Amino acid sequence: MNKNTRIIAKSLKKRNRSESTFRLMGLLGIISAISFLVIILFSIINEGKKAFVSTQIKLDIFFDSKILDPGNSGKITEIENANYQTLIKASLLNFFPDVKTRNDQRDLLSMISSSEQENLMRTLTNDISLMNTKKEFWLKSSSKYDVINKNPEMIDFAEEDRLISNQQLFWFNELKKDNRVKFGFNKIFFTAADSTEPEQAGIWGSVMGSFFTLFVTLLLSFPIAVAAGVFLEELAPKNRFTHFIEVNINNLAAVPSIIFGLLGLAIFLNVMHLPRSAPLVGGMVLALMTLPTIIIATRASLKAVPPSIREAAIGMGATKMQTVTHHVLPLSMPGISTGTIIGMSQALGESAPLLMIGMVAFIVDVPESFLDSSTVLPVQIYLWKSTAARGFVELTAAGVLVLLTFLILMNSFAVIIRKKFEKKW
Amino acid sequence: MVNKKNIKVLTKKVSVFYGDKQAIKDVNLEIFENQVTSLIGPSGCGKSTFLRCINRMNDTIDICRITGKVLIDNDDIYKATLDPVLLRARVGMVFQKPNPFPKSIFDNVAYGPQIHGLTNSKEELEDLVVRSLQKAGLFNEVKDRMNEPGTSLSGGQQQRLCIARAIAVSPEIILMDEPCSALDPIATAVIEELIDELMQNYTIVIVTHSMQQAARVSQQTAYFHMGNLIEFGETSKIFQNPKNKQTQDYITGRIG
Ligand SMILES: Nc1ncnc2c1ncn2[C@@H]1O[C@H](COP(=O)(O)OP(=O)(O)OP(=O)(O)O)[C@@H](O)[C@H]1O
Ligand SMILES: [Mg+2]
Repeated sequence: MNKNTRIIAKSLKKRNRSESTFRLMGLLGIISAISFLVIILFSIINEGKKAFVSTQIKLDIFFDSKILDPGNSGKITEIENANYQTLIKASLLNFFPDVKTRNDQRDLLSMISSSEQENLMRTLTNDISLMNTKKEFWLKSSSKYDVINKNPEMIDFAEEDRLISNQQLFWFNELKKDNRVKFGFNKIFFTAADSTEPEQAGIWGSVMGSFFTLFVTLLLSFPIAVAAGVFLEELAPKNRFTHFIEVNINNLAAVPSIIFGLLGLAIFLNVMHLPRSAPLVGGMVLALMTLPTIIIATRASLKAVPPSIREAAIGMGATKMQTVTHHVLPLSMPGISTGTIIGMSQALGESAPLLMIGMVAFIVDVPESFLDSSTVLPVQIYLWKSTAARGFVELTAAGVLVLLTFLILMNSFAVIIRKKFEKKW
Repeated sequence: MVNKKNIKVLTKKVSVFYGDKQAIKDVNLEIFENQVTSLIGPSGCGKSTFLRCINRMNDTIDICRITGKVLIDNDDIYKATLDPVLLRARVGMVFQKPNPFPKSIFDNVAYGPQIHGLTNSKEELEDLVVRSLQKAGLFNEVKDRMNEPGTSLSGGQQQRLCIARAIAVSPEIILMDEPCSALDPIATAVIEELIDELMQNYTIVIVTHSMQQAARVSQQTAYFHMGNLIEFGETSKIFQNPKNKQTQDYITGRIG
């Protein structure tokens, strides 16, 4: 062993030790990150899955013409405006004949979601031959009973901490004993918009809101950003001015999103007088936010196209524009689309700027156009989270699940595109 | 062989600057029609830069500036009324590294005629593609795989594809910047043979690092050093009996 070898051997021990420490730290970091993720996902799924089913109660409804159409007019308008609550009440009282006082009867009736009155009306008007017949229905329970049914541990709570009284719990248990309570698929959650009643609230309104909003975002930001990226990367002379623009675009990507919301408020609403809470405006605001992301992605993927391709095209006598549209742009499309999808999924998860332009309103109708008032997924989650009623807890988690599903779908789509079109030179 | 030599390209006091740095200094050179002219010289002496003046490829470099005159058929190619796109259709180029488009073999060759609108029908285009591939000596190797990507060919085949692509628009001049430097000796021999044939119809300017190649393929040779044209003349004379000391040192391997 010569002198140098000895020195190296001595230091080697120390060097190896620091490497293994670093490895350990890295491993610990990854393990803790994964466990946090698992914990979060687990708790969300655990809570959220409850919102996908709802408690339903079987009742025999007698479509009594004396109640629905006392004058025996047979007119559909008469039947439409009749009091279906009385039918439900009659059915419940039939089952619990001992309930006599008004208050008790009201308490009993509160077991069934008020949305079912309209459903009964629709069933009847669709098939008027049901008049004066008895039919079995699985009716949605109101949210309080739903919560108790989903969280059995609450049954043991003291009466004043529970959502329903001892009496109500007794009735509910009686129905259960008679096999009249089940969990059914909560269709409302996937078809309705927001509601004050948790059992009638759905995510669909905000899904559509997000869809319209993102559609506007994509329509605006993609062409503008690609054009800007191509101009900066391929056509613009490299001088101080373009350098200044480049630096500022990169800075824009780091601007807090709420600033874009304020900008939208000041310009789109106060100056241009566009409607509040509309997906059109939301999409415009998010487009501002997404622009820098797509521009940066565009430029990065244009840069990745080897210059030899440009030289080949220019050397053949293609104009600069032909070089870009025939060769460079198609080759960089995978990168651009991945960047766009990532920008879109950022936009999908964004809420702060939309609060600024009033997309935080309570909207009970599913939006049908770009100008209808609407909300978006993350804002809906925020709204539900900040509502006091206990029934919204599960909805919030389910909303998060829906949002996460969309995000995962979009990101996997981006990964697939990247993998599929990856070019090797 | 033509006895009377027609001057195809003439440069008059051409200087090229990259920013403040001068890469070519007052070069006067004649390039004869239907001959092969090779540009030799040590690395960084400005061969590529000079070559790229002839089809105005240097225009694409922002900091590049050129003074002097380049005449093709006695016509100034840097005059304002001349569109570089038109020029590049007349002056084709083959690059050091084969750079086929990542498209099919057919589309590679068809690209030039398509953008310039040279053919009127599909049949005419197909015919032109086949003829160009034949002239480039590649047709027999690729006739069954015209729809495969050009990048799937071997390096030598790719370079011949690039030559086919260049001659598909029937240029008058073909510029080649070290076309064989990425190829093995066999592929190189194939290209050199091809150059010999192409000479009948085209004027060829080739940059090469290989003295043997210059000696084999060219009739005229220009020796560059540090941006200056040191010596220019018939290849045989330059190689057998160079007038300039620097040229002699270079071809005998003392510089470079
Ligand atoms: N795009 C450019 N920007 C700035 N300087 C350049 C550029 N291209 C070439 N140069 C400079 O111009 C000089 C000549 O370069 P050129 O590429 O013409 O040399 P060359 O003779 O082709 O060399 P090689 O044999 O290595 O290819 C070199 O000093 C080089 O550094
Ligand atoms: Mg060179």
